[in-house]
Amino acid sequence: MQTRIHFIEELSRLNHDILAMGTRVEEALRRAIEAMKAQNVELASEVKATDEVINALQLKIEDQAAVLIATQQPVARDLRELVTVFKVADNLERAGDHAVHLAKAAIKLAGEPPFRQVERLAAIAELECGMIRGAVEAYLNQDAEAARRVAAIDDEVDSEHKLIVRELLELMRERPDQVERATRLLRASGYLERLGDHMTNICEAVVFLVEGKHVELND
Amino acid sequence: MADTGIPLGPAKFEVEGLDLWYGQTQALKKVSLKVAANSITALIGPSGCGKSTFLRVLDRMNDLIDNVRIEGLVKYEGDDIFGDVDVIELRKKIGMVFQKPNPFPMSVFDNVAYGPRVHGLHTRSAAERRALVELVERSLVNAALFDEVKDRLHKSALGLSGGQQQRLCIARVLAVEPDVLLMDEPTSALDPISTAKIETLLDELKVRYTIVIVTHNMQQAGRVSDTTGFFLHGELVEFASTKEIFFNPKDERTENYISGRFG
Repeated sequence: MQTRIHFIEELSRLNHDILAMGTRVEEALRRAIEAMKAQNVELASEVKATDEVINALQLKIEDQAAVLIATQQPVARDLRELVTVFKVADNLERAGDHAVHLAKAAIKLAGEPPFRQVERLAAIAELECGMIRGAVEAYLNQDAEAARRVAAIDDEVDSEHKLIVRELLELMRERPDQVERATRLLRASGYLERLGDHMTNICEAVVFLVEGKHVELND
Repeated sequence: MADTGIPLGPAKFEVEGLDLWYGQTQALKKVSLKVAANSITALIGPSGCGKSTFLRVLDRMNDLIDNVRIEGLVKYEGDDIFGDVDVIELRKKIGMVFQKPNPFPMSVFDNVAYGPRVHGLHTRSAAERRALVELVERSLVNAALFDEVKDRLHKSALGLSGGQQQRLCIARVLAVEPDVLLMDEPTSALDPISTAKIETLLDELKVRYTIVIVTHNMQQAGRVSDTTGFFLHGELVEFASTKEIFFNPKDERTENYISGRFG
């Protein structure tokens, strides 16, 4: 059937854009954390430029998906896939925003000796780069089991974040002169924690796409 | 068979293990389902899948065809329709609207009055005539047609548009004061605006009637029905809430059909 072929082609174009979007978000996160580690303001500024590309991709993907719904009237799994496309694009866009927040924190923190907790933050960012890649792949392969595995990484992210919070609070008690900078880093860790939640949302959407039921992968 | 989960009122029809043969050809295979009262049930499936045959079982229209053999149980309001039942009374209770509007070559009024007259409604006294006029008008109002024809009630029904003719046929069925409306692709010959009018009408009618509709238009099944049954090769593959069928069908054959992968 001609229309079915057209639908599949359009869908694969869409998925290609989702892959591109995921790659950009991962790249933005890597640059942001690298900028923070190296106190590289220029690199941090590049993250903001990447975010514009990410935002544009989101709008393009959502427009394409809306046109497909209007013109092809998909049902069942086809419809669930398109509903999932919106969720994936939306959560990737929010993840991109958090990378920007992290880059802004890097700019603010540059110029003074770095906290040792930045290394811990880098470790979380590494976990999350894996989550971004894993979540997008789970979506593209429509693999619910892979989605569950990726979402499980978020537990590690959360406990790392809690450790950082505890350490920074201690530091603030000991060094009141560092409260402002430590607070910035605390918030940066919070952005990373939220980024992990967005990847978990994508994983939940993938399970919904594959199995047709809503699940909570991270309580 | 999946759980038929009756979504709304009590069962109007209960069908169990229904088999039907046209001569040597088996057209329905072990069909079991329940039709809830005051609901709209849509039957979908490719041509020749048995959905129209099933519809015609419900008012025993297949009795008119030679060589038909039926086994299994079909209960209407708890009574076996193949048991000790007056078929004329059964068909009065269970009205049928067909694919192509088929108004009689007479006035709009007489089309609607035809059923009540055949069923013995007298018009000898002024009071009886007034009752008939009221019945005809009420039926036309309920078929969402009255406003469009009130000034031409005594002109030929053949001058109406296709969509108006189909609503006239619905009014004609309603005038007999049935309990169930069976519809065999009632909008497939109509334009989108007439189709939308009939779909809106169905939603209003289900408050008072139980409706079973055969349709080739899957979007229509999705829009109007509460429950959907998918037939394939005489088998009822899946019968579930319309929401379930169109969003998360359990059977791969249903998924393939409604997604246009075959058929």
